[in-house]
Amino acid sequence: MPENIVTESSGRSEPLGDDTSIQPPQQPGNYMARVKSRWSNPFSESHNDADDKKISGGSGENIERDLKKRRISNSDFDAIHQEVSSDFISPAQLYSTESGRLFHAGQLCIALCGLPARGKTHLSVSLCRYLRWLGVKAKIFHLGDYRRSYCEKKNISQTFWNPLENANEREEIVNECISDIASYFENDKGQVVIYDAINALSKDRLDFHSLLTEKDVKVLFIESIVTDERLLHKNVSDASKSPDYENWDPEKATENYISRIKIISPIYQEMNEPELTYIKFINFGENIVINNDKFGFLVKKIVFFLMNSRIKSGSVFFARCSNNKLKFKSDPPLDEKGSEYFKKLNKTLLDYISKSKGDNFYQNIPIKSASKNEKQPPIGFDGQHENDFVVWTSTRLRTIQASQSFTKLGIKTRERTQLTQKNPGDVEGLTDEEIKEKYPEDYEKHQQDPYHHRYGRAESYHDLAVKIEPLILEMERMSGDILIIADETVIRVFYGYLMACSCNEIPFLEFPQNEIVQIQYNAYSNIAKRITIEGVDP
Amino acid sequence: MPVYTVSHVDNVRICVVMVGLPARGKSLMSQKIVRYLNWLSISSKSFNVGSYRRRQKQQPTAEFFDENNEEGLDTRNRALEMALKDMLTWFNEKNGTVGVLDASNTTRERRKKILELLRLNKIEPMFLESYCDNNEIIMNNILDVKTTSPDYQGVNPDFAIKDFLKRITKYEQVYEPLNMSTDSDLTFIKLINVNAQIIINKIQTYLESRIVYFIMNLHIKPRTIWLSRHGESSYNLEGKIGGDSDLSERGFKYAKNLPELVSRYIPNNENLEVWTSTLKRTQQTAQYLDYPKKTWKALDELDAGVCDGLTYEEIQKLYPEDFKMRDENKFEYRYRGGESYRDVIIRLEPIIMNLENQENILLITHQAVLRCLYAYFMNVPQEESPWMKIPLHTLIKLDPRAFDTLVTKIKADIPAVSTYKEKGTTKLGEGDDAKFNIAGDIVT
Repeated sequence: MPENIVTESSGRSEPLGDDTSIQPPQQPGNYMARVKSRWSNPFSESHNDADDKKISGGSGENIERDLKKRRISNSDFDAIHQEVSSDFISPAQLYSTESGRLFHAGQLCIALCGLPARGKTHLSVSLCRYLRWLGVKAKIFHLGDYRRSYCEKKNISQTFWNPLENANEREEIVNECISDIASYFENDKGQVVIYDAINALSKDRLDFHSLLTEKDVKVLFIESIVTDERLLHKNVSDASKSPDYENWDPEKATENYISRIKIISPIYQEMNEPELTYIKFINFGENIVINNDKFGFLVKKIVFFLMNSRIKSGSVFFARCSNNKLKFKSDPPLDEKGSEYFKKLNKTLLDYISKSKGDNFYQNIPIKSASKNEKQPPIGFDGQHENDFVVWTSTRLRTIQASQSFTKLGIKTRERTQLTQKNPGDVEGLTDEEIKEKYPEDYEKHQQDPYHHRYGRAESYHDLAVKIEPLILEMERMSGDILIIADETVIRVFYGYLMACSCNEIPFLEFPQNEIVQIQYNAYSNIAKRITIEGVDP
Repeated sequence: MPVYTVSHVDNVRICVVMVGLPARGKSLMSQKIVRYLNWLSISSKSFNVGSYRRRQKQQPTAEFFDENNEEGLDTRNRALEMALKDMLTWFNEKNGTVGVLDASNTTRERRKKILELLRLNKIEPMFLESYCDNNEIIMNNILDVKTTSPDYQGVNPDFAIKDFLKRITKYEQVYEPLNMSTDSDLTFIKLINVNAQIIINKIQTYLESRIVYFIMNLHIKPRTIWLSRHGESSYNLEGKIGGDSDLSERGFKYAKNLPELVSRYIPNNENLEVWTSTLKRTQQTAQYLDYPKKTWKALDELDAGVCDGLTYEEIQKLYPEDFKMRDENKFEYRYRGGESYRDVIIRLEPIIMNLENQENILLITHQAVLRCLYAYFMNVPQEESPWMKIPLHTLIKLDPRAFDTLVTKIKADIPAVSTYKEKGTTKLGEGDDAKFNIAGDIVT
């Protein structure tokens, strides 16, 4: 029975059988072993992110062909705004249900609220990314997108409206967005909607709340308040990246943006409606107030994320460990070739960062004498400042040694057990052909679901995804730059998180040895870039 | 290794410093935090200052807690010092990660002293205040304390309530709640009337956020949790594991009996919700229960992968190495293509959070899943939990209280096979190693 059969509101459920007759099993001794797996087969149905063509599940050959057609070539594109199909399986989802919804949490609309330059869009996108990663079917509706498309249609050049004026146009735009939200819940098995708008007036918020409550959707408001001048300044200067200012001169864009804030500030009403469920998110996580939460688990999970969410100034960089075919369990020191590789990696990256930041910022970091016995300060404090730079490596001897070139510059390096490569188990060192011959059944299963399937004693990508959850949240806590040196298998999963890849894509992402991958945070969507390390083989 | 690998646990040391008047559920929360973290294999311990005080002064009356009672003040200060000293020793010698200082810590001055001492020892304080002015919640807690606190054991109940209320007023006279204008520099979480409003300030590490997340899911109202395995299934009869078989005849009998069994212990006017897995045998077991039901995929039995549907003899024959490995480390062993106990614990997280959130729940699920849930509620160590004996046709009633959890086993008078397998054998049947018996009195 799927999870959706009993909803919270439906009260008592029907008994399964007839109350009076107890039926003994029909065919003693002949029961099917469990056939339903924890996962519906991700390759059995078509996906919107693949071609329209239905992907067939059976033979290995077809799958191989179809896999190549998937978004691989286009994986530098952040898919967070892309629709996902109803049978989409997220990378860190613990199990799938027939209803497509999880945790008996019902349907939830998260309505953002706050003045311009309060990081609402960034918050909407990062929250959506996290929820989707967990398997909650979530979608963002930016009211700004609706306004832009409305203006385009009507050929209006105005980019912004005072909430107290243009009532008719505003209503039309808002209604269109709300009707799309309702349709997402009703027709697309959506579980969470994130409604990204200013929602300046209490009346509008109350109206929105009653409208959705009527449709059996719970409404959670998240109000972003920024009192820290520095944060505000940063957000304002990022404004020129908004789609509203495409082709604008950055200075003019900032000017225009400030004028918007000036119009809205005097009429903005801070949230204080005791009957509503709301979260005040102050200075991006410094202080959080939760009011009247009666929605349970999912809201708590959201607060959990918010506690770890920060405004981003830096990027995430990924680099491979030095190329070798070492056994999973061996742990030799760094060899000469590896040492050469890391020297080049170090130089390429630091030159790149210095160039983009305009000066040798990392040279200003005071060098602390690191004694072995001294307890390091808690990791959670890492990377809080926008100019911070942190390096994570696995706990393998060679990567620890490799990271010392960063330590010498006073850059914090941290060893993380979760960054150890995916355990290859019984198939370690075997070629595809050999695996096919030795473990034909396993091989077939692996072809069908390379993300979840584990060979004997091996880990799956899904195992990695669940394992790195703490690291993902710590990464979210950072404002500055971070370099993650890890095996390709681990980079795939991290990359999958940051670029909203589905579990069909992750096993096929490619990260050659001679490239550093940069993921730049941007309010609307992340941007992936590849930086070549000169003099290293791919 | 912790289940949820909280990164670099060895670098983070946190002390949760409780704040609040008596009867605000502080001890209950302290116990729960410790239980949850230990279940995730993060070493955690609570230090209840009251019990250190009792070593010097048992069963004092309210006057003892008066601000002007020098003897009382002296004794209470000493108790705090002893608790802190033990806690620091525990952090250093036992490599503790999260300590909980369970005391009222009502004054700003006292909190400042504690903070300085902790910082000096490189332990980060996180204050947790339970603020409550809702009389119903307070009275419920008072009734609980009256019956379970050693301070009032053997004392006339009416006197106990009166004295306890008086004790609370003594604390109220000096109480300075946490607030944003004076305490904005502290890492704290403040619960106002349980969760009518929650204020979270300056959370600085992932581990802290994880603790806060758990706390938000708690409530302190009295409630009961019922655990039961599904009725005996046809697979049980054949000694097969896993599968999705129907109940046996005796299993159906248990299902029929269940409503009566439950109603005997739960008055009709109380709410109850029944949770089952998605497998047939749990739903068939729940079918005669006239309560709201929810079906959870997360409650499905541990997936035995390629061994699903086999008997232990068959497993030993087909996968001798695996059979041995599983007995050697049952918690970590993962069936080929299936799950380990660790995997089950990870997928039970939403269940645990939802359970903490709710009131009376009856869970009808499977042997391995119940072991994990039982281990959570009763603080059973990781290496023991996969060996716990949880017999069929037995209803387990758990009543969480401030200082412990009361267990009652209600045995239905319907015979069933044993599905318990001891280490090193393929034979089924419960041996007599008492270590793996579940706690509590048996009622039939």
